[in-house]
Amino acid sequence: MHFTLHIWRQENRHAKGHFEKYEIDNISAECSFLEMLDQLNEKLINDHIAHPVCFDNDCREGICGMCGLYINGRPHGNDDGVTTCQLHMRRFNDGDEIWVEPWRAKAFPIIKDLVVDRTAFDKIIQAGGYISATTGGVPDANNILVAKHIADQSMDAAACIGCGACVAACKNASAMLFVGAKVSHLNLLPQGKPEALDRVHNMVVKMDELGFGSCTNTYACEAECPKQIKRQNIARLNRGWIGQMFGRDRRK
Amino acid sequence: MLVALVGGFLLIFLLFHMTANLFILRHDDGQWYSAFTHFMGTNWVVKIFEIVLLGVIALHILLTLWLALTNRMARPTRYHQPSKSKTHTTSKLMVWTGILIFACLIFHFTDFYFVKLGWVKGEYMVKTEKLQESEAAQMQQFAMQMGMTPEELLQEMEAEAANYGNEIDGQSTKEYIDHLREQLEVSNILQRAYGEGNISDDGKWIRHLTYDDRQLLRRVMPESDPEPDFYYMAREKFTRPYIVIVYLIFFAIVFMHLRHAFPSAFQTLGLNNYKYNNLIEVLGKIYTWVVILGFAAVPILVFLGL
Repeated sequence: MHFTLHIWRQENRHAKGHFEKYEIDNISAECSFLEMLDQLNEKLINDHIAHPVCFDNDCREGICGMCGLYINGRPHGNDDGVTTCQLHMRRFNDGDEIWVEPWRAKAFPIIKDLVVDRTAFDKIIQAGGYISATTGGVPDANNILVAKHIADQSMDAAACIGCGACVAACKNASAMLFVGAKVSHLNLLPQGKPEALDRVHNMVVKMDELGFGSCTNTYACEAECPKQIKRQNIARLNRGWIGQMFGRDRRK
Repeated sequence: MLVALVGGFLLIFLLFHMTANLFILRHDDGQWYSAFTHFMGTNWVVKIFEIVLLGVIALHILLTLWLALTNRMARPTRYHQPSKSKTHTTSKLMVWTGILIFACLIFHFTDFYFVKLGWVKGEYMVKTEKLQESEAAQMQQFAMQMGMTPEELLQEMEAEAANYGNEIDGQSTKEYIDHLREQLEVSNILQRAYGEGNISDDGKWIRHLTYDDRQLLRRVMPESDPEPDFYYMAREKFTRPYIVIVYLIFFAIVFMHLRHAFPSAFQTLGLNNYKYNNLIEVLGKIYTWVVILGFAAVPILVFLGL
């Protein structure tokens, strides 16, 4: 297959970026988007055309959350429920023009080319995305009773890999789906309950502080999430926010 | 969150507004609707509510504009490619439909609300009983008994007053004459109303008063309290095609705004879950269609003469 690529090149955070046009040939329909970029980089290096294009990736199995490109107007490209590494070139037509951009958000500054700094997510997790008591060893089954549907909801929320596609897709660059998922996965379970209200408060305040936008319920995040995290997690976060307004102990 | 609360308040208000509007459709010569507008114009609870409502609208606008601005700032560099994510278009256009609604609202206010405030001239009506017991009505009746027109009576009285010198009943002659003249003007309104049949079918209202009539009545007899005749004004306006079209466009934009607003308010307040999401979605659809069809029915049916 043959493609015309328009790739965002930017030297560093402060440099001015621009689109660079590359032609690439002999791409197998079965190869992934990142493998296609690998081939492009090999060509760029071998033919001394330019520095290779920088992009994030790690496991290439769709479970680590490292990769993430904004391809033709959609985070992770034109497929549902997959990360960029699981996007295959068969999703494109031969001869397509493909525009590749990095995640764009104030809270995700560009490091180089298509690589963005997602430390903001780590900071949100540090603000409350954990349980402060040690949970000890693996408890016996059924020692702590959790209803099946609660466990399921928590597990679904925990599927979030923190790739940032929700922020990238959101017209407001809001991180509500991410925070909603992280809060839900802990707050639904008995271990997370004692700190539930503080968690909501601290993580949301941190999120606002880091320059993410607000949720205006467009649900582009839900449509683009590679782990198909549901909007109900945002509703739960909102519910928690109202709860913490009245119920949080501020005396500490 | 405040936006959702405030918006929810407006959603309830719209339902109320729409129901009242449907009174216009009754062919009762405004019996119901005038009774309604009279209540709305005089009740003090409504007056407080009016201020609250305007405040709420202002709050809704300011909050959302601020929200849109900060949200834009969260992405300093825009994407080159427009978003192709699968979303409802209406949810992305809320700011724009909101701004358009505000523009249409100004148009709507000049048509109706500003008339009430007296900033724009409209048609007015006054309670018949208020005028019937007035001095002007007595003067007219007296003139009729004497077999004169009110003007002739006035001239007669003026001539008589001249004999009294400068003072009549502790009042200067000039003031007395001016008072009589004003009363005469009021009686003219009365006479014209009866002459042209400008009395509502139930006999409660004298209608088709001009702005000048209203000013006169307010000056001469403030207790008569003339009010805008919204029933007649609405029916008259909706016979003009361009106004009907503007209003239908207005409703289409409101439709887009509400379509997102209803379920969105539930989401923002966290008042939903997996079980009720579909129910809220359906309720939102029903609400939006009922409200918009209710609103649109008035201009359309009035225009068609039904």
